[in-house]
Amino acid sequence: MRALVVHCHPRADSYTAAVRDVVMDQLATRGVETRLIDLYREPFDPVLSVADLDDYEDTTLNTRRVGDDVEAVRWCDTLIFVYPTWWYGLPAILKGWLDRVMVPGLAFEMPEGGDIKPGLTHIHRLGVFTTCGASVWLTTYVGFPGRRTIMQGLGLLCARRCRKVYAAHYLMDSATPDSLSAHLDRVRRKTDHLLAPRAWWQLW
Amino acid sequence: MTRALVLFAHPCPESFSAALHTRVVEVLDARGWDVDDFDLNAEGFSPVLSEAERRGYHDEPANIEPVRAYVERVQAADALVLVFPVWNFGYPAILKGFFDRVFLPGVSFKLVDGKVRPNLQNIRKLAAVTHYGGTRVRALLAGDPPRHCVKRHLRYVCHPQARLRYLALYDMNRADTAKRSAYIERVTAEMRSL
Repeated sequence: MRALVVHCHPRADSYTAAVRDVVMDQLATRGVETRLIDLYREPFDPVLSVADLDDYEDTTLNTRRVGDDVEAVRWCDTLIFVYPTWWYGLPAILKGWLDRVMVPGLAFEMPEGGDIKPGLTHIHRLGVFTTCGASVWLTTYVGFPGRRTIMQGLGLLCARRCRKVYAAHYLMDSATPDSLSAHLDRVRRKTDHLLAPRAWWQLW
Repeated sequence: MTRALVLFAHPCPESFSAALHTRVVEVLDARGWDVDDFDLNAEGFSPVLSEAERRGYHDEPANIEPVRAYVERVQAADALVLVFPVWNFGYPAILKGFFDRVFLPGVSFKLVDGKVRPNLQNIRKLAAVTHYGGTRVRALLAGDPPRHCVKRHLRYVCHPQARLRYLALYDMNRADTAKRSAYIERVTAEMRSL
């Protein structure tokens, strides 16, 4: 099993970093090979440029500025995102990572005149761990834009029976030490569930 | 005079988005509106919320200092019009980053007794002009995040009686010239009546 963890938060001492550490620990305990992309530390440029768009549909050229990221996505069979939810969605740096790395030839194929074909069918596990300032009710009303961008949007491009887990700590501004540590336990359990072998009835 | 802030988020001047953007600005200009045309890529907007900004996020009013010029442009507007392509079922990063960095506490919302209250009372007209690569069905399967972001989040932070138009062309890659020009005409009509 090979897991790619994509993490972003401007502060190195953030709670999101603690969530990432729990995920990385759990992956290590399970003996999973891991790679970590820390977008703020690199730092990753999230703006899709004119040059990127010029190359966008040419599958021999469109990965040349983001080669390492593309290689890591090709390498993994488990993709995990750890980020804070801002305005119900992904931080710009993470949204831009999707915009620039998930190009035709990697994430999908665009046949002439047809609908797009999934390209991430080697990814069998997809995880999202996030924190939200808003309540779960408000987030439900707005329709979980961030979660859906990854779980549904990206999920549609992964393997057909891709296993997906999601865990969020809502109302971060009124979090207590208890709620924070309970959430870390939840992250640990969800990561375990993501990695668990499939039961016989899930194999087809 | 109505003052409109047009936020445009596509890097290529020859793109369909750019054609929509040009048309939007022309129509609003022709109506005699004062248009503040903000091309995020051309002005080199940086969408990444920095560590210092994150640490000072809740410190009103100092939190607006790093982005004061942008905040003033938002606060001066009576109408907000977004022109952007949908990428990966969301705003382009450069536009998402505009909300991350500029829609701060004390700008787009305020906290009253721990509850979020809308604060962009100056914005009475809101419109989004966009196009999707995917089909409408595919967007629905993904929950159509950008439509929800505009209609539920952005709409909420504006004036309670703000008028909202969400204009979208789906399945853009297979849309022929006729479909594209019909959409541009629709955008023109909607901008005339916004």
